[in-house]
Amino acid sequence: MILAKLALGAVGTLAFATVYTFREGTIRVDVDEHRAGGSHVHFWVPAAAVPAALHFVPDDKLQQAVERSDEFMPVALAVVDGLKKYPDAEFVRVDSEDEHVRVSVKDGKIYVDVQDHGDDVHVAVPVSTIKDVLQNIADRKHAQ
Amino acid sequence: MTHHIRKSIKALSLAAAAALLLMPLSAMAQTAPTQSSASGGDRWLHVRVVSTDNKGETVRVNVPLELAEKVLPAINKDRLHNGKITIDRGEMGEIDCRALFNALKDTKDGEFVTVQAHDSDVKVAKQGGYMLVHVVEKRWTEGKDGKETKDAKSTEKSHIEVKVPMKVVEALFSGGKDELDVLAALRALSAHGGDTELVSVKDEENTVRVWLDSKSSAD
Repeated sequence: MILAKLALGAVGTLAFATVYTFREGTIRVDVDEHRAGGSHVHFWVPAAAVPAALHFVPDDKLQQAVERSDEFMPVALAVVDGLKKYPDAEFVRVDSEDEHVRVSVKDGKIYVDVQDHGDDVHVAVPVSTIKDVLQNIADRKHAQ
Repeated sequence: MTHHIRKSIKALSLAAAAALLLMPLSAMAQTAPTQSSASGGDRWLHVRVVSTDNKGETVRVNVPLELAEKVLPAINKDRLHNGKITIDRGEMGEIDCRALFNALKDTKDGEFVTVQAHDSDVKVAKQGGYMLVHVVEKRWTEGKDGKETKDAKSTEKSHIEVKVPMKVVEALFSGGKDELDVLAALRALSAHGGDTELVSVKDEENTVRVWLDSKSSAD
């Protein structure tokens, strides 16, 4: 009986942690170089983990971003705030014989898809995560 | 008794887990109609460039005017500050664009500038609340020695049509003496009803279209 209770507790905690972690969605990066020796990188990170992980990034690693934040922060924040209103839209699309680029937003995620001479890069990042990262950089700037 | 408590806890746990799992979906369901209805009345500026080279490159850019209105004041670089561009008087020569526009805006519809030159035709007109600019660049047939023949004929090298609501032009000149208020022009464009073809350029290499409508997609 005690084992069953422990199992139920563990499963419940795991379910709660899973739901919490994936509530914000995932960051996804796929890179495929379709040529001899080309690299293939595929990874996803739960978006909820990013703000927490940013607190452990040393200041010097983000120093350049913090220093230049005055230049890009107002524009980046305005874009991110503005994008909330457009949950499903295509902003840029370039198509040619061997190149395809697409920048779009769907379900609160920014998608950048590039196909260039057989190489594929696909990145998907929740808009809320970008805002968290920007906020973290802004906080570090204020702390300086 | 303990059996009842255990059963209640189990039921509560299941209900909590179900609520947690469904929470993101219900939140999305609540926000989705608001977002779609909010973006439904938006005005979108579309740019499409179709290249006629052998690669057939097509570039499509779709920008919601409201987003542009929010982002533009945040850009402060070079001559662009707070949505206004500072004009260098030297670049404009002796032309006072503001005075020119003030003279134009109260006059009746008509063609104000007509230039028919050897290599281009230019027309500037005001019609139905729009400022129209029409430019045709010409190419002349040449003889073997590279000189134009006597009976040379011209063909269109490029064709440019610009159609801008007068209110937008007025807003553009509503700033200070040496500045163009781009933000005010964007707001005027946003308030302009109906679908409008603003710019159309066709030359040997590219076809460019800039237009305004309520669709988020350029297709």
